[in-house]
Amino acid sequence: MSIKHSADQAPEQKKGSLLGWLDRRYPIVSTWNEHVGEYYAPKNFNFWYFFGSLALLVLVNQFITGIWLTMSYKPSAAEAFNSIEYIMRDVEWGWLIRYMHSTGASAFFIVIYLHMLRGLLYGSYKEPRELVWLLGMFLFLVLMAEAFMGYLLPWGQMSYWGAQVIISLFGAIPVVGPDLALWVRGDFVISDATLNRFFALHVIALPLVLLILVFMHIVALHKVGSNNPDGIEIKKYKNEAGLPIDGIPFHPYYSVKDSMGAVFFMVLFAFVVFYWPEGGGYFLEPPNFEPADPLKTPAHIAPVWYFTPFYAILRAVPDKFLGVVAMGGAIAVLFAMPWLDRCKVKSIRYRGASYKILLTMFVVSFVVLGYLGTQPATPELTKLAQLFTALYFGFFFLLPFTSVLEKTKPVPERVK
Amino acid sequence: MKKLVWIFSFFLALPIAAQAAGGPSIELEPAQNNLRDQDSLKRGAILFSNYCMACHSMKYMRYNRIARDIGWSNEEIVEKMAYNMNKVVDDVKTRMLPGVAMEVLGVEPPDLSLMARLRGTDYIYTFLRGYYQDENGKWDNHALAGTSMPNVLEGIQRHASAEDYAQAARDIANFMEYAGEPAKLQRTELGWKVIAFLLVLLVLTYFLKKEYWRDIKH
Repeated sequence: MSIKHSADQAPEQKKGSLLGWLDRRYPIVSTWNEHVGEYYAPKNFNFWYFFGSLALLVLVNQFITGIWLTMSYKPSAAEAFNSIEYIMRDVEWGWLIRYMHSTGASAFFIVIYLHMLRGLLYGSYKEPRELVWLLGMFLFLVLMAEAFMGYLLPWGQMSYWGAQVIISLFGAIPVVGPDLALWVRGDFVISDATLNRFFALHVIALPLVLLILVFMHIVALHKVGSNNPDGIEIKKYKNEAGLPIDGIPFHPYYSVKDSMGAVFFMVLFAFVVFYWPEGGGYFLEPPNFEPADPLKTPAHIAPVWYFTPFYAILRAVPDKFLGVVAMGGAIAVLFAMPWLDRCKVKSIRYRGASYKILLTMFVVSFVVLGYLGTQPATPELTKLAQLFTALYFGFFFLLPFTSVLEKTKPVPERVK
Repeated sequence: MKKLVWIFSFFLALPIAAQAAGGPSIELEPAQNNLRDQDSLKRGAILFSNYCMACHSMKYMRYNRIARDIGWSNEEIVEKMAYNMNKVVDDVKTRMLPGVAMEVLGVEPPDLSLMARLRGTDYIYTFLRGYYQDENGKWDNHALAGTSMPNVLEGIQRHASAEDYAQAARDIANFMEYAGEPAKLQRTELGWKVIAFLLVLLVLTYFLKKEYWRDIKH
């Protein structure tokens, strides 16, 4: 619902009201109206459009539980593991706060992966939303760094050795590699120095960057307007008042709808927090209940599930440096989506068979690679990982050609 | 709705499929312990004190916390688990003097606070019952070959019935599961109330949404 601007009101009304007083000193009313009360969103959002607001919800959850964890956590190699157990046992509701944070990390990636898939389904990265997509991709990148650094903090065996493996990857870069890895760790192995700097980055630097990027992501979105499952620009048809006919104000329509989605999400979230916090050994890995031991390498080191697709790509390439390049490339190539896809039609509903087949192939590859990344690299599984790595990249290499030749269906003028 | 089911089965199937492939190489016997069985927890605590604490500690547990959670008074637990040698606010230490284990067994026996979370109760149950003597009379364990730990339950194995022997291992596993996460019972008791509340809220938000959206034509 929009609020009438104080400038429109009679002067005597303005005088007495707190809102009027504030609005003359700060753009409360115009900001609210532009981004909430009079932000017109297409009326045909479906299930896939919940994940943006859910990502925001999880971000808030991570901020709040994270702040409370910081009150009892000790960022030192000697005390970190003990302090987590102190939180789990002796801090009032510490176990709940910790499980909400650890479950939140996995939930964040589930929500973000589905949010990104929504973009691929309905062409949300296309003109004029390229910048929304790019800012989102930077968010994804920073989120991965945030999660990676947060995972070291419990200082368990998997925290330690996971970080050891990932940071040693920098060492594969020619010439500067070894010095770079040394610089990142602040030591020759993962140590107290590494833990302290990761803590600083995890609780201050990266959350700050995330917050700024989320703000920019939303500002960019509100500048160009939301896409929708039909991939039609609602701004094309406006009424006498200049408002899009197929648009509805975000508040109250989508605020109540997203509230419903948020509560539904919280039901699932609560189920995991209270009855499945280890997530079958994937949200909290059992080896991480053993304190980090630099002298004892675990038999099988696997990163947390949300990194495993990229980890599988890394291992699929026989050469270590080229593996790092492939892993980086797998993320980098997503940035180029707006320019790789040259089809004018946005939504998958009206696109040709080639895009549907390619996208299915991409999603299947991503999931299979995710599974393979959790498994020990046997020769057979490595062959499989190579195949699906090829299919993963195949999506991006074929798209520029197939998207031009694609036989699309006619796109309706108005949303359904 | 179809899509919804598809997505969730997708994400649920992934860890389950992966889980099946991991784990130790031998078949684990199911411990079938019950965390709500306070008598089992009490027996497990006493067995743990008698058979484990000679070498192992449980440093993240304090006696008064255990007493509160499994239904003993502070005096009872100090008598039953610590033979009146510790204070109720002390954490559960091993009775072995520092350095002795290294000399006698060649290893430092691990702290057992989190063993159940690290390996699972089935592993503990199988391990405790997994001892055998090879042809030379040397002891070994099916679950952990070459272990330095002696067959501590040998006396019970020899002199008690098969059921009592199994029950002893089960009680220890049960107590260790409790110690791995003392808040677990609290968590499972609170969980359904939170979910029930959220389900009521879901119904309310659903009708609120429906009411607001009545005037939107599709």
